[in-house]
Amino acid sequence: MTKSFERAIKHLPHIASLYGVFLITAVIFVLFSFNKAVQVSALAAAASAYVTWGVVHHLIHDDLTIAVIIEYLAFALLGFVIGVTLLLR
Amino acid sequence: MNLNPAHFFIPRHSNGHKAKILHSTSIFFIVLTLLSVQIAVNFAAKKGLVLGFAANISPSEVIRLTNLKRQENGLSPLVENKTLDQAALAKGTDMINKGYWAHVSPDGIQPWKFFGDFGYDYRYAGENLARDFSDPASAVDAWMASSSHRENMLSSKYREIGIGVVDGKLAGVDTTIIVQFFGTKMADTIPVQPVAKAEPTVAPIVGQVKAATPLPTVNPTVLPTATPAVAATSPQLQVSPFNITRSISLGVISVLIIALVVDTFVIEKKRLVRAGGRAYAHFAFLGMILAILIIAKVGQIL
Repeated sequence: MTKSFERAIKHLPHIASLYGVFLITAVIFVLFSFNKAVQVSALAAAASAYVTWGVVHHLIHDDLTIAVIIEYLAFALLGFVIGVTLLLR
Repeated sequence: MNLNPAHFFIPRHSNGHKAKILHSTSIFFIVLTLLSVQIAVNFAAKKGLVLGFAANISPSEVIRLTNLKRQENGLSPLVENKTLDQAALAKGTDMINKGYWAHVSPDGIQPWKFFGDFGYDYRYAGENLARDFSDPASAVDAWMASSSHRENMLSSKYREIGIGVVDGKLAGVDTTIIVQFFGTKMADTIPVQPVAKAEPTVAPIVGQVKAATPLPTVNPTVLPTATPAVAATSPQLQVSPFNITRSISLGVISVLIIALVVDTFVIEKKRLVRAGGRAYAHFAFLGMILAILIIAKVGQIL
């Protein structure tokens, strides 16, 4: 077994919860194709959940640092800005 | 500053063993750049340098596609009625002028008033609305995907159709409104029941509404100005701001996903242990954003 596979198995519950949130968000986007308010809210919730997940995950694995939090915040901000500029233009 | 492409995409000594484009500072820089580009695109749109949403909306194409859907469902095609076209255009102009996005105006004017204003004495009438669609096919597909709008489009009660396409600002945002009016003249039907049914309160499911003001007089002051029609048929504009934004965003996300894959592959191969966020988490988040970019539709229907 490769190390990455071992890690994936070890983190499986965390991965499943994170991917579940993203899957639900994508489904909301499909179901509410023409409701911008719902879509923006779902995007904001997904971005927030992503940062929260990162903090909790790294806290549990005892490797949480300010740099890690900033990294998750940067990706979340990027995703949110891209989504909002597309939806609310 | 290291401009070597490998510095941006491959983990190595020069970038602290992490692709430079994946550094938090680089991500924040990308966010600022995207916002700047967005401001530039909006500015260009306001100056008319890029397409407004209406440029590809041809009323006749909306009618053609509507009739295509009807024929696919075994219904007879609707005939374009110029009076309905004018009434639809007047409704759209009213929405822009008064700044509302609804079937009923803030001062309580129902869609049916526009039918009457232009002397269309109807037995059946219906209204579908759409805004911000970059082409007629997207708007028609959106209506067909909504059961209430689909019911209007595929109703056998209607014989005529009118389309109004109006450019303008709603709540300060550039937009294009498509008003789709359906109707059947009172004279074209043999009334089975002499008593008219009650006027519906929930649009767009509209039907069997008796005209309250069957005056045939057309008030010229209500007629829409030439501005919306000119904007709607302008041939010089080719690309919508929405598509520009989507293309740029798709490019950025794709590059970041590729960088993440390469970065993870190299780190695994070199068996390096690195502090930082989980690559699979970033990958999933960017994947979701990519899916949203593909799913996102620019238009709204009512």
